[in-house]
Amino acid sequence: MNNVLEVIDVTVRFGGVTAVAGANFTMKKGELLGFIGPNGAGKTTLMRVITGIVKPQEGHISLDERDLSSLSINERINCGLALAQQIVQPFQDMSLLDNVALACGSTKTRNAIKSMFYTDRSEERQRAAELLHMVGLEDAANSMPSTLPLGYLKRMEVARALALDPHLLLLDEPLAGLNQNEARGLADLIQTLNNNGQTILLIEHNLREVMRICPLLYVQDNGRPIAYGPSKEVMQIAEVRSAYLGKAE
Amino acid sequence: MAYEITLLTTIAISVLFALSLNFISGFCGQISLGHAAFLGTGAYTSAMMTKASIPFLVTLPAAALSAAALGFIIGLTSLRVRHDFLAITTMGAGFLFVGIIRQQDFFGGEIGIAGIPATGLGRIGFMSLCMSLAALFALFSIAVRRSWMGFVFASIADNEDVTRILGINASAYKLIAFVIGTATAGVAGALYAHHFRFIGPDSFGFVESVSVLAMVIVGGIGSVTGIIFSAAILSVMPLMFQFIDDYKLLLYSALLFFMMRFSPDGLAGLFKRAFRKYAGERP
Amino acid sequence: MLYLELFIQGIVQGSIYALIALGLTLVYGLLRILHVAHAALFTLGGYIGVIVTNQTGSLALAVLVAAILVGIVGMAVYKIAYEPLLSQPPFIALIASIALFIASEELFRIVFGPYGLSYASQPLTGHLELFPGFRLKYAEMLVIGMSVVVLSILAYLSLNTRIGIAWRASVTDPSMARAFGVNIQNVRYMNFFIGSALAAIAGVLVALLNNFVEPTMGSVASYKALAIIVLGGLGNIRGTLLASMLLGIIEAFGTIYIGHLIDRDALAFGFLIIVLMVRPQGLMGVK
Repeated sequence: MNNVLEVIDVTVRFGGVTAVAGANFTMKKGELLGFIGPNGAGKTTLMRVITGIVKPQEGHISLDERDLSSLSINERINCGLALAQQIVQPFQDMSLLDNVALACGSTKTRNAIKSMFYTDRSEERQRAAELLHMVGLEDAANSMPSTLPLGYLKRMEVARALALDPHLLLLDEPLAGLNQNEARGLADLIQTLNNNGQTILLIEHNLREVMRICPLLYVQDNGRPIAYGPSKEVMQIAEVRSAYLGKAE
Repeated sequence: MAYEITLLTTIAISVLFALSLNFISGFCGQISLGHAAFLGTGAYTSAMMTKASIPFLVTLPAAALSAAALGFIIGLTSLRVRHDFLAITTMGAGFLFVGIIRQQDFFGGEIGIAGIPATGLGRIGFMSLCMSLAALFALFSIAVRRSWMGFVFASIADNEDVTRILGINASAYKLIAFVIGTATAGVAGALYAHHFRFIGPDSFGFVESVSVLAMVIVGGIGSVTGIIFSAAILSVMPLMFQFIDDYKLLLYSALLFFMMRFSPDGLAGLFKRAFRKYAGERP
Repeated sequence: MLYLELFIQGIVQGSIYALIALGLTLVYGLLRILHVAHAALFTLGGYIGVIVTNQTGSLALAVLVAAILVGIVGMAVYKIAYEPLLSQPPFIALIASIALFIASEELFRIVFGPYGLSYASQPLTGHLELFPGFRLKYAEMLVIGMSVVVLSILAYLSLNTRIGIAWRASVTDPSMARAFGVNIQNVRYMNFFIGSALAAIAGVLVALLNNFVEPTMGSVASYKALAIIVLGGLGNIRGTLLASMLLGIIEAFGTIYIGHLIDRDALAFGFLIIVLMVRPQGLMGVK
């Protein structure tokens, strides 16, 4: 009953190439699911199907048991999806605080015409400050993005996604490009968020951290799902070991 | 006195027109190279109506509506194409406007519309109307920039895709920017037609579109006060340079070029840097 | 018969467009700059062509001198106007380019006079009667022949020489080309030299067709060439050539059939807007 995300028989073809073939999984409230697979496994494509950038040829996606097929990306976000992208894209001309505050103001920005009549930002800025504190960026709140290292911006990206109060948080390779300490710190944060009840789908390449924090795994190779279940069991499956471990690490 | 009135009226209309483009290009980041078409739409609408003895003030909302209707359509194209494609599409819309007007006898064709009646407000009354409309729109612009609408506009200008990822309907905001900006350009057009009492296709061509974009960029894109200054200076410059008539366009374009080359953030940036130097380079 | 005549006229006009637009699309491919001032180089080419022909009596020499001189001016434009603006938002370079174009038109007017120039004795005035009632002017044949020859040579060089391959690589992916040791700066200079030289040749050819050059002969060409490169899918060379020919032909027919509704020079933009609504990435652009 309380399925947050359902991915049902999703197939995507680009020309003659099948990028995703029959992807299938469901996420219940409060789960932290690690979505792994070697390079070219179709992870990004499936992620784009969930956000609505790519339209699947078959299958469908539903969020809180609502079919998302006909919705645009911003409508899906308004249904309770939030996304932290792999390549961080802060608004360059705004401080970190305002980057997050804009996302906090969804009640004020939902209706474009009414947005003209709201001027006060203090409430959203306060909430943004709390979120930045939660991800450990309270010191950098008033800095401009161009002056900050990647590790900070990755955390800002997570805070900005959390600002939408999502039912499901999609994290696309949040650890990519970080050094070991930074990656460990951010993975700890993801685990903390999950412990606080946040449902998270983590698409990630860093197997060590995924194994450390994710109780559940979904593995895809060459677009095909090859395993889905508790992490320890999944990693015992021979096909997973050869597909993933054999090549990647 | 008459000369000063003409000058101030011209400035006020230019300021209103430049601020209307600033709403689209400055606030929302949608560069338009065909904005003169909306000035033209307002001008033709209003002129045709007053020539049919409809009171001038009634024609103002009509001019705004007709320009906004066209602006809405161009706004829709901005949902399909972006950046350089949008700049060229809007430029194309400008050429299309002039190209169509030129061939219609109904709009006076190549010759244009002469003998546009007076407004009945008197020279000073008309000047005051122009100035107060420009001032009103300047205040409105500042208010919008401070509002959540302005906040979203800034984010769209910065990175439209990310704005959408934050669940914001960027398309709706872009359309609003186009509708408000073009409606205001339409009002400026109505004023323009009754200021010069003559309009023709060439009054709304590409050079006009570039001039108004130049006003916005020279003023400092997005800066309301900077644009008021630059629109005032750039619109009277041709009048002031009358004595070097033969070289005025050369001087104008050379100034524009050097401005872009040496101070791309416009007058606003120039003043900011000068002020920082004056204040002693403190961070 | 009318159809054939209109078609040939379209091809002639399309060849001119192709020569102009190719330089523009090369600049866009490499630098993402909409180089409006390109049309000023076209005008300059026309002037040099007429002046050299009138002084020496040789059209071939005129084409050569115009191409080389204007090519060098094109490199100077890059160095002086665009290189310092590469880190700025793209509309800064666009406005600078428009300003440069207007200033150049004014300079032409002041230096060469407002009334334009003609050939002392117009070269290639004759025509060939292909079959009764259908004539092709020598000048028109030269336009088509010249475009085919020049563009084929370029295509050959870019496909078969080391420098040509480096150049294509830089237009497609500058950072990758740099990684392979291509000197991007030299490629940019070469790009501006070739593009400007092509525009100059187009200028000489237009001067020949009309027996006339004037300061404003570039204005229509400049904006239309922008429409063409957008139609072709910004930076796409084959798309640009296709769009040039299509537009030449559409204009030739459009002027006859819908000329009373819409100005000839606005047709290009009507076509452009329709295409972009259906294919926002242009005729041959990649999404």
